[in-house]
Amino acid sequence: MATNSQELQNLVNYGLAKAHVAMGLVFFIIVGFMGFLYSLQLDGIYPFTGIEFLSPGRVRMIHTAGAAYGFLVNMFTGLLYWAVPRFTGYRILSDKLGWFMFFALQAAVLITVVSVLFLGMADNVEWGETPWWIDPIIVFWLLLHLMQFGAPLFKASQRGPLYVAGWYISAMLIWTPLVVFMGNLIPRFWSVGSGAGAVQSTFIHDLVGLYVTPVAWGLMYYFVPVIMKKPMWSHGLSLLGFWGLAFFYPMNGVHHFLWSPIPMFAQYSAVFATVAVEFAVTSVLINFMMTLRGSAEQLKYNVPLRYMYTGAIFYWITCFQCAFHVTLTFQKVIHFTDWVTGHAHLIMFGTFGLWVLGMAEYIWPRLFRKETMYSKGLSEGAYWLLMIGVLSMFFDLTAGGLVQGFDWIGLNPWIDSVNFSKPFWYFRSVAGIMMLTGLLMYALNFWKTATAKTGLSAELRAQT
Amino acid sequence: MGKMERFSFVALVAGILFFLFADFISWALPMFVLKDIPKKSVEDLAAEAISRNSTAWSDFKKLARYYPETFKKLCQYEESFSGAKKIPESECKPNGKTLAKALRVGHRWYVAEGCWNCHSQMIRPVSNETLRFGIPGVSNTVSYPSEYNNELQAPVLWGTKRVGPDLIREAAVHNIGWQVAHLYNPLYTSPGTNMPPYPWYYTKDSKGNIVPNERGFGLLTYIMWLGSWEVKPPKDFRINIKASNSAKVEENTSKNFAEAK
Repeated sequence: MATNSQELQNLVNYGLAKAHVAMGLVFFIIVGFMGFLYSLQLDGIYPFTGIEFLSPGRVRMIHTAGAAYGFLVNMFTGLLYWAVPRFTGYRILSDKLGWFMFFALQAAVLITVVSVLFLGMADNVEWGETPWWIDPIIVFWLLLHLMQFGAPLFKASQRGPLYVAGWYISAMLIWTPLVVFMGNLIPRFWSVGSGAGAVQSTFIHDLVGLYVTPVAWGLMYYFVPVIMKKPMWSHGLSLLGFWGLAFFYPMNGVHHFLWSPIPMFAQYSAVFATVAVEFAVTSVLINFMMTLRGSAEQLKYNVPLRYMYTGAIFYWITCFQCAFHVTLTFQKVIHFTDWVTGHAHLIMFGTFGLWVLGMAEYIWPRLFRKETMYSKGLSEGAYWLLMIGVLSMFFDLTAGGLVQGFDWIGLNPWIDSVNFSKPFWYFRSVAGIMMLTGLLMYALNFWKTATAKTGLSAELRAQT
Repeated sequence: MGKMERFSFVALVAGILFFLFADFISWALPMFVLKDIPKKSVEDLAAEAISRNSTAWSDFKKLARYYPETFKKLCQYEESFSGAKKIPESECKPNGKTLAKALRVGHRWYVAEGCWNCHSQMIRPVSNETLRFGIPGVSNTVSYPSEYNNELQAPVLWGTKRVGPDLIREAAVHNIGWQVAHLYNPLYTSPGTNMPPYPWYYTKDSKGNIVPNERGFGLLTYIMWLGSWEVKPPKDFRINIKASNSAKVEENTSKNFAEAK
């Protein structure tokens, strides 16, 4: 690549980016498989019945906690190792610290897997299921992460204003250790009952809203203009989107426990802030769609860009849906049902999953100094399987959730709601097979690209 | 606008100030509002169950009577994660200490097994939930803050998904025998269910019968404790006091009620 000059190459530690992205992909497949196993239990055909350490309840905790720490943290850290030095112009704090952090993160995830599956040590904080004694280690890891990426951002901002991606990533670096500390340790040691419920719900939402969302949007603000080779459409909208998100997102959490014994003022403020966030999100989406204007034909042949815009549209669908189902009226029906599961999968897999896959597919050939991925067919096939898989799972679970919700209100025998859900659960497993196949194809393409002996050349290049 | 786009401004204002403001509204203030509700330790809960003679206490005594070998093993059981300590043989009978230990052990495995992935512990005031969960007239009240203010609800076990029914009013719904069979293989008691069996909470006693092991004993105690504080005596027992009866009977009955309350 012409733009990939020696100077730019010296900025980035290629080994760290490769290692984190590869481990992120491995964990993505593992947690996806864990989710698939759990769905087989709902279908009534679980293959490992009676084996203690493969009990579906334990497997499900690996599915959620593994998605947070194994898949997302690895993937995002790998992508940050690429993006942050390149848009700030400064190297990360230390390469040795980077390798220490890499091994520490894998060790933390493996210890979590062992303690949840084999030792029966877990916390009942959704997607903070890591046993409490490992949480201070994760907080410490996140402080190192703050220093590692804070250093280049701080140096760059001494020279002048930071680029949009820098705001999102700077704020995320501060938020994440606070969020993990708050969500895992306060409800256990300093709070109890409904107060703990308020903290936990804030955590459930803040790990999405203050870690995953800002780091993902920050990376989007970096990768999308770089791929399309043009600036964002409006700087004003970038500012509006960031500050709107930063102010309203942290207040959303309590909407996970509406109609609960948490005082109503907290529930109302969460509903209000959630609806407000959707306006900020819409301003961000308008910015990205207007940036695409005039370049939309790139979506036809540029798979990474297509992943990013598909994810962005799913993001907006999820947020639009959220503005309605966060109200107390919708909650009467859909709370505790599969509707919520569908919503969570569309945002985590459909948006953030597709985004990191697109970004990883963009940097992977460059990391190995190849011009393109090994196979266009695998690349396209994986995209369509993942996209159709997650979208059909979303529609399926949303419909199934409505059936469950109304069935429960109707006071039918409980077993009816299980029987009525069965068709939806079977279909969800099929969608899961599609998504897993897509992921395996994607991983095969990565493997072949990394190990290809001759330099792969691009058959079809963007006109530059 | 230049200053707004610096690392230090973003880190201070968005990273710290906005975060603290949001946390003040979403959990510091609710915690402050709820601060006067006393926090109970597991020992308090056990003492309360005994003094009120609740179903948790009678079910625990039943379990100890049915499975004496397991009960002895439970006294010996020791592990650091839930803080369960050995109980000397002289004190190894149904009392506050053993009940507290069984609750601790049960809660630890309830969390570790991920029971809360499919069973919530919260009755909402909407969607007919007060009619569906618990037994009408006996234990079907809506969830309220003080019943969660104890050590076993930190972090709170409300859950976010129901595949199976809610369990916070379970004490009145099924008896101990049903629970023992259900946990061993849910299909024995609930045809068509997709709940997995938990045979590793069972063992064989000296006569070759399948009985709960010490972890299963704790888990069953914990499940039978859920909602026991809400179980009122059935209506028949409550209103069947005739004015013509001697004053002594009436006095005794009302005293029992006062304790039961």
